[in-house]
Amino acid sequence: MAVTLSTLTERRNLWPWLLLAPLAVYLALFFLVPLAEVAIMSVTEPRPGLANYEKVLTGSLYRKVFLNTFATAALVTVCCLLVGYPLAYLMNATTQRRAMMILLLITMSFWTSFLVRTYAWMVLLGNNGPVIWLLETIGFEDPPGILFTRFSSTLAMVHILAPYMIMNIYSVMQKIDRSLIRSAESMGAYGLSLFRHVYLPLTAPGIANGSVLVFVICLGFYVTPVLLGSPREQMAAGLIGHQIEEFLAFGLGSAMAIVLLVVTLIVLAIYSRRFGLDKLYG
Amino acid sequence: MLKDRRNALWRPSRRLFLQGSAAAATALAAPQIARAQNKELYINSWGGPWLEAAQANLFDPFTAETGIKITTVSPVSFAKLAAQVRTGVYEFDVTTLGGGDIVRANQAGIIEDLDSPYEGGLFENGVASHAFATLMAWRTDAGWEETPQSWADFWDVEKFPGARSLQRYAARVLPIALLADGVAPEDLYPLDIERAFAKLDEIKEHIRVWWTGGSQSTQILRDGEVDMIGIWHGRYFEAEDAGAPVDFTWNQAEIDRAYWVVAKDTPNMEAAKMFVEFATSPEPLAGFVSQANYGALNPAANEFVADAAKPRMPTSPDNYPQVFEQDMSNWGGDPEEVSMRFDEWLAS
Repeated sequence: MAVTLSTLTERRNLWPWLLLAPLAVYLALFFLVPLAEVAIMSVTEPRPGLANYEKVLTGSLYRKVFLNTFATAALVTVCCLLVGYPLAYLMNATTQRRAMMILLLITMSFWTSFLVRTYAWMVLLGNNGPVIWLLETIGFEDPPGILFTRFSSTLAMVHILAPYMIMNIYSVMQKIDRSLIRSAESMGAYGLSLFRHVYLPLTAPGIANGSVLVFVICLGFYVTPVLLGSPREQMAAGLIGHQIEEFLAFGLGSAMAIVLLVVTLIVLAIYSRRFGLDKLYG
Repeated sequence: MLKDRRNALWRPSRRLFLQGSAAAATALAAPQIARAQNKELYINSWGGPWLEAAQANLFDPFTAETGIKITTVSPVSFAKLAAQVRTGVYEFDVTTLGGGDIVRANQAGIIEDLDSPYEGGLFENGVASHAFATLMAWRTDAGWEETPQSWADFWDVEKFPGARSLQRYAARVLPIALLADGVAPEDLYPLDIERAFAKLDEIKEHIRVWWTGGSQSTQILRDGEVDMIGIWHGRYFEAEDAGAPVDFTWNQAEIDRAYWVVAKDTPNMEAAKMFVEFATSPEPLAGFVSQANYGALNPAANEFVADAAKPRMPTSPDNYPQVFEQDMSNWGGDPEEVSMRFDEWLAS
């Protein structure tokens, strides 16, 4: 009766593939096939050839938007790191109970919809919102509008992506062997030098993981920069949507999507060579 | 709103499934439900005041008269109209297009050939329905000593300091820039594209938001995110009725015409054409424009329009002399090329 299962478990190399099969079929049908269609569209619409790619890679608008996309993703990554690292450190240094409380607060924003969080920022940063009011109360005369600027869109994206950074760094920090720190101290390292030569290198894998995740997710951000930013700082995903909506440029939009995908894969490939892609998953 | 299938883009198969099951039911069951597939019509909705007026004056009466149920689909999307023809999956059967888009849509072959239900009603296979305006509105709490009069004042940031907003839509913004530069309305077309962009350069840094959706434009005016805005008149009155401290002028307001169109090769062709005819017939159209303050384009509708509604209509005898119309047939350039240039200009 248990023949099938035991024979399957004996043929060890087959079992994992069977487990993977439902997901693989799902991804193939609903991800790879449409993606292939996008790739085909990019070289056939409106007529066969590489004209779309030529336009995307040489047109000043597209180059500017792609550069801005990477600059924004890099800026968001750095901000997430600056915010996330101390917080992860605090979580690691405090009691288990408090760490859980902080974790809860951080993940709570995950339970709120993306769009709701974006609109919440509009309320907070608006001209009649609490931030402007605060600036006026502490003596700023005529404070500058902060909504619809690079500042507001970056702030919102950092808020959305920081948990990825924090959790990655925190999980690495937790695994650090405390005796390494003690022995470093016994050798006379303390303060900044202890941090620079011992602690920081030990947490580097967490920083790398978090940064790659944040960077890659940020490259494809659509709604937040569209709603909170200005066209001067638009990102690739927003422009792809606009190209299709406004100009029915399915081919051009597809070519932009493929370029963005290829660049993302290159980033992941570099990371994989340097650190190993498996590290991303803990 | 249950009727609003907002995320329909991501699950377009639902309707196919429904139609499939309807067909299967037809095959299996009694002949009296053979017409079932024609009993539902999907209409692309602009939401807001437009939807309220259309629901009360066009959709519900149409359903009462024909038994055809109407479901609305948001948001209005030109790209989806095109994608439907490409994929054969129809999310909506009927939509409205403005003067700029209808020429492109007809050239691209994504809308069905129609007959004119009333004399002079057909333009590029769309049936003229109503006129709406892009007008200049402002916050009365901006602290200015004078009242803005024209688009030239919109450009005058010395006299009227504050943040501004315009629609991210070249075909509407370029004529406005030329008026601000002193071009007379009768000399606007064909547009002097270079001059318009040069004038836009002057105001660019003061435009805080390039709005892309009607509700967004109401929100930024009502919440005081901007002090001056070029806004659709229906959306302006929405902010005014909400009690926001705002004012506006009809002077140099820009008229656009909206046309009903039927998606090419839609499976609900018969019902769709019936609806377009119904929606542009005098009484329903009069009710629709009276509630939403549009200008009826079927002249026969005007006798049914209530006098009380006229002050808010861009085409009423008092207001019409102050406004100007879009002229898409003598526009002055390839609208698509100009739009692309406009996009590059925005990003630079």
